[in-house]
Amino acid sequence: MVMDGHTAMPTDAQILTLTQWFSPGYPVGAYAYSHGLEWGIEAGDVRDFSTAKQWVADVLSHGTGWNDALFMSAAFEADGDALAELDEECRAFAPSRERLKEADLQGAAFCEITGELLGARLKGLSYPVAVGRAARLADLPVQLTMQMYLQAFLANLAAVAMRLVPLGQTDGQRLIRDLTPMCSEIAKKAMGATLDDLSSTAFLADIASMKHELQYSRIFRT
Amino acid sequence: MKVVFPRASKGSMTAVLVNTAGGVTGGDQFAFEARAGQGTHLTLTTQAAERTYRAQPGEMGQITNRLTLDPGAQVNWLPQETILFQGSSVRRRLNVDMAADARLCLAEPLVFGRAAMGEVLTNATFQDRIEIRREGKPLYLDALSLTGDVAAHLARPNIANGAGAMVTVVYAAPDAVARLDAVRAHLPDTAGASLIQDGLLALRILAADSHDLRTSLVPILTFLSDNTLPRPWMI
Repeated sequence: MVMDGHTAMPTDAQILTLTQWFSPGYPVGAYAYSHGLEWGIEAGDVRDFSTAKQWVADVLSHGTGWNDALFMSAAFEADGDALAELDEECRAFAPSRERLKEADLQGAAFCEITGELLGARLKGLSYPVAVGRAARLADLPVQLTMQMYLQAFLANLAAVAMRLVPLGQTDGQRLIRDLTPMCSEIAKKAMGATLDDLSSTAFLADIASMKHELQYSRIFRT
Repeated sequence: MKVVFPRASKGSMTAVLVNTAGGVTGGDQFAFEARAGQGTHLTLTTQAAERTYRAQPGEMGQITNRLTLDPGAQVNWLPQETILFQGSSVRRRLNVDMAADARLCLAEPLVFGRAAMGEVLTNATFQDRIEIRREGKPLYLDALSLTGDVAAHLARPNIANGAGAMVTVVYAAPDAVARLDAVRAHLPDTAGASLIQDGLLALRILAADSHDLRTSLVPILTFLSDNTLPRPWMI
């Protein structure tokens, strides 16, 4: 195996930088977004541990999880105009107004803090593109970046389920534990893929995010 | 493939695409391109549902459609259903380039197998991609890849919950915001619509079968096409 920047063993410093980026305390505001899960729970489609786990698994594998990994990986390789074009494509891929909002607002917040920390120009990118770009600027391994991004996404959705289904703490943590291997599988698969492999088939989860726009009583922004 | 023009007047035209082979199979390559000039109005549809026939192993049919909308042009891209057959393998692309003030109404209805004969898609490949650019910039991008046991995948509760038909509709026009409430009022429970950004409305409907899909879709397309839904859609 060629030991270049992409495949070398991550260093402790790299791992700890990623832990910081994806900790709930990093000021991206992920906790405010439910990705449409709040509607899924309101409608009764998600009502217990097993339906919550399936919802999150489908969104990871067949929706945002997989596609964000592809955009992140492409952003890691892109510069200049290509990066700007990629960011536009990522935004165009949003299936609903609230999904675009999530990518836009979390991306803007991530750029603001991470740009400061890295002392680099990082501005106005959608979230997965911003993370891919920042990983490149900080010389972080992209595959591990994807895994940890996906696990943070998963943990955030689990937190939504814990609060609203509701699920107990143990079930919430079990959900994260059970689906964490999926994050590694998706990241591994994404390493050999390109934007030609974009595929979004979590149709009803997307529809849930559209319906959330009209939800009368809600806690989450999306 | 041929095209017939049942209705044409100055600056306005309806074109009906006729696939004389009746469908697409592995190895076929279909390409279609249309341009609506400044201020013109073009409605495109198909004479019949498009069928994707069983393909030989390793072969894949290719469909490539391209639309260009000049300033002030209006295009309604309203093909009838594409029916996916067991064993078929098709890759489809729709690319649209539109001017800032052009108006686009697009619908791509899909039917998963011939329900009337009990067909179940346990082995099929369908890769579909829609790319719309406005003023050269990506505006809307949709991609889906269905491979292998498509029926099992669609049966999952957050994927399609067993739906037999689906449509993606995109309405990209300056007045998209004014259309949202009326479109939503027409939607069945298994559907959603969103004004993703200014001038871009997208909706998706899942239905039990192609008949139910049409029942929901025809009023919406009639409204979005300003009552110019072409005759092949009227049943």
